[in-house]
Amino acid sequence: MSGSHTGSAAITRWVMIALLILYTIYNLGPILWLVISSLKSRADLFSMPPKLVFTPDFSGYQSVFGVGAAKDSAASIGVFRSLVTSVLVSTIGTSVAVLLGTLAGYVCSRFDFRGKGDFMFFVLSTRMLPPVAVLVFYHMMFAQLGLADTRIGLILIAVFINVGLATWIMKGFFDGVPREVEQIAIVNGYSRLYAFRKLVLPMVKGGIAATAGFCFIFSWNEYAFASILTTTKAQTLPVKISTASGATGIEWTQICAAGVVLIVPVLIFFWLIRKHLLMGMTFGVLGRK
Amino acid sequence: MDQPLQKRSTGRLMILGFLSPTILLLLFMVAYPIISLVYYSFHNFSAMRPADGMSWAGLGNYEYLLTDSAIWQRFVFTGKFVFICVTMQMILGIFVGYQLQKTFRGRDFLFTALMLPMMLSPVVAGFLWRYMLNSEWGVVNFLLSGIGLPKIEWLSQATPALWAAAVVDTWMWTPFIALLATAAFRGIPETIYEAAEVDGASPAYVFFRVTLPMSAPVLFIALILRLIDCFKQYDLFVAFTGGGPGSSTETVSFAVAKTAFSYFYTGEASALAVILLCIIMGLAMILVRHLSQMGER
Repeated sequence: MSGSHTGSAAITRWVMIALLILYTIYNLGPILWLVISSLKSRADLFSMPPKLVFTPDFSGYQSVFGVGAAKDSAASIGVFRSLVTSVLVSTIGTSVAVLLGTLAGYVCSRFDFRGKGDFMFFVLSTRMLPPVAVLVFYHMMFAQLGLADTRIGLILIAVFINVGLATWIMKGFFDGVPREVEQIAIVNGYSRLYAFRKLVLPMVKGGIAATAGFCFIFSWNEYAFASILTTTKAQTLPVKISTASGATGIEWTQICAAGVVLIVPVLIFFWLIRKHLLMGMTFGVLGRK
Repeated sequence: MDQPLQKRSTGRLMILGFLSPTILLLLFMVAYPIISLVYYSFHNFSAMRPADGMSWAGLGNYEYLLTDSAIWQRFVFTGKFVFICVTMQMILGIFVGYQLQKTFRGRDFLFTALMLPMMLSPVVAGFLWRYMLNSEWGVVNFLLSGIGLPKIEWLSQATPALWAAAVVDTWMWTPFIALLATAAFRGIPETIYEAAEVDGASPAYVFFRVTLPMSAPVLFIALILRLIDCFKQYDLFVAFTGGGPGSSTETVSFAVAKTAFSYFYTGEASALAVILLCIIMGLAMILVRHLSQMGER
């Protein structure tokens, strides 16, 4: 009796493990496939059956960075420029968003003021907002302000899409610092501002890094705004990829290589924020530490 | 609580100084655009021909949209997409989350690795899957033919394209559900499981009668966030199907972008954007109410 019970439990367990393995293949297989494909020559890329053994070919990467055989070719220069734009927009946008979010998050963590709940909801609404809805207006506004197709305009967008997230996450981290820190400082004659800068901020260093990691990934991946607000000069890498279709159709070698280039920074930052994923992905609503 | 007056005023200064940049930014980037959007939605106006000016249209734009069968098709498509995606993601995500709450060797590494798809750019996801789902030389059809299935024209027919898009969205966002589900499952006190074991309850019974109900509040958050994100999905379709074949995979967001930036019917696009915003706001309200109830408990 109990023997058959453990028997069926063992079968269930193996079925579960098999399903989990299948899911893992569905989940990680495509990423692996992208990396493999990015190293294939154009001929190998379209071979049927797909080749698993092949001579690595770096022409895709060469055209992304505009080096080697692809040096000075028209398609590659634009890709490199868009890579620079992506790096600039994401780093500057992230820095400003984290700065603003840290200030706002601190105040929301420490003070009670009229309209605080409304402010927090207003900030949260940036997470829900469909980009195309505001884009209808941004499209005109950016043209009027001379921000259309500029890196400055995209930095403004990068700050905007991340400031809410930064505020909520940083509030969570500040909530984890005991209020006594400031009270003791004030009793000892230091100002609140001094206590914030010299005592509290160093205590949330890890939190600031995690927040920056999330903001960087989100602005690095951002597509909807960049695709509509830029045309040529200020295209980011994701936008450039989506327009990389040459005379012979989509340039798959270039797209696969650019895809890997887009993923590498994400991987690095992802490793840094892995402990805070729950918090970052739910706007700090869950997973506060 | 009796603070000296001087301290309280520095506090007020600090609130003002620390918050005003963010408030100004959000007023400029959210409130102002949305108010303008509502204003435009009641006018005939094209951003392409600003010289023609605006003329009052009343509810004309809304009337036009709500009686236009093409727009209804966008809503129907979006609804189908949302339903398929959210159902698949919830089932898969809860399954994966349940398996990963257990402690086993390599668990943390596997968990982190499985979270990767949701951190990728939707453009990379869209193109990667478009490459893999190519009917002639795509690896997916190759694998399917390996188990004896016929070739599927994934992206040139409406129904397979819908399912393909759902497969991609599910690939990206199942990890999100799994992330929240694992956290919820791990939050259930061990003593409850011990009590169930003493009572001789079967694992399935414990899962459906204890684990799921106890993690329902967190799973509900996951559900609403996915409903919102699926409903406004735009980027994925641009990279993945381009709205095609024909216009069969255009979501409501896609239709807003097309009306505004290809046809330049700004008034009409604004009205559709307002409708989209109202739907999203409705879902967001449910989420906020749920969160505040959770907070009170």
